[in-house]
Amino acid sequence: MMSIPFFLVVAALAAAWFDHRAASLAFWAAGLLALLLLFRAHATDVLNLVL
Amino acid sequence: MTPALSLRLNAVGLLAVSAVLIFAFADQFFFNDLPCPLCILQRAAFVVAGFGLALNLRFGPRASHYALLLIGALAGAVIASRQILIHIVPGTGTYGSALLGLHFYSWAFVIFVVMVLGTAVMLLFDRQFADGEDSADRLTVLSKVAFVLFGLLALGNGLSTVLECAGGLCPDNPTGYLLLG
Repeated sequence: MMSIPFFLVVAALAAAWFDHRAASLAFWAAGLLALLLLFRAHATDVLNLVL
Repeated sequence: MTPALSLRLNAVGLLAVSAVLIFAFADQFFFNDLPCPLCILQRAAFVVAGFGLALNLRFGPRASHYALLLIGALAGAVIASRQILIHIVPGTGTYGSALLGLHFYSWAFVIFVVMVLGTAVMLLFDRQFADGEDSADRLTVLSKVAFVLFGLLALGNGLSTVLECAGGLCPDNPTGYLLLG
């Protein structure tokens, strides 16, 4: 599951290489979303800090 | 700054991002320093951010491509700062090796900030956007090498992550590759 952002950006790069800019941007946005959701899944512990 | 010079600088920038990923790979394979979940996400953020540079190489420099880089670098900086905060209190441990006194997640934060600063500097030069045509037909050898190398590293990181974590979320303290027993 944590490999999804990598593969989505690879798909985005492939789409860009073959001149499909809109598809490329869509794959990138999906990759960014996957990255943020995975970060949310892993950032659950409360930090013991005073900021 | 001419569009051609901008493209060369973007290619160099993409090679620099690739160098970061290669360094992380080298540490993983030669020193068996398996990346933790947040480390993997920082690598993914380098890939997400570097994509903006790759788009510049493929379609010519555009402000929107730099925006993608900025978004990716900021996401990476947030993830790296989260990991720094986990270990910021003395005695709370660290993860992985240190290089020149800083752990990799600290270096990642520094590099993401440098990427944001470098992008801001690049955006100061409006003439690079004068050439509105796609650069597809004038990809230089340097641009092609940077683009393909970056793509291979993104793919390699994806495959490496599958080997390490299989289909689920990665363990917090990985000790081996789940798919390799």
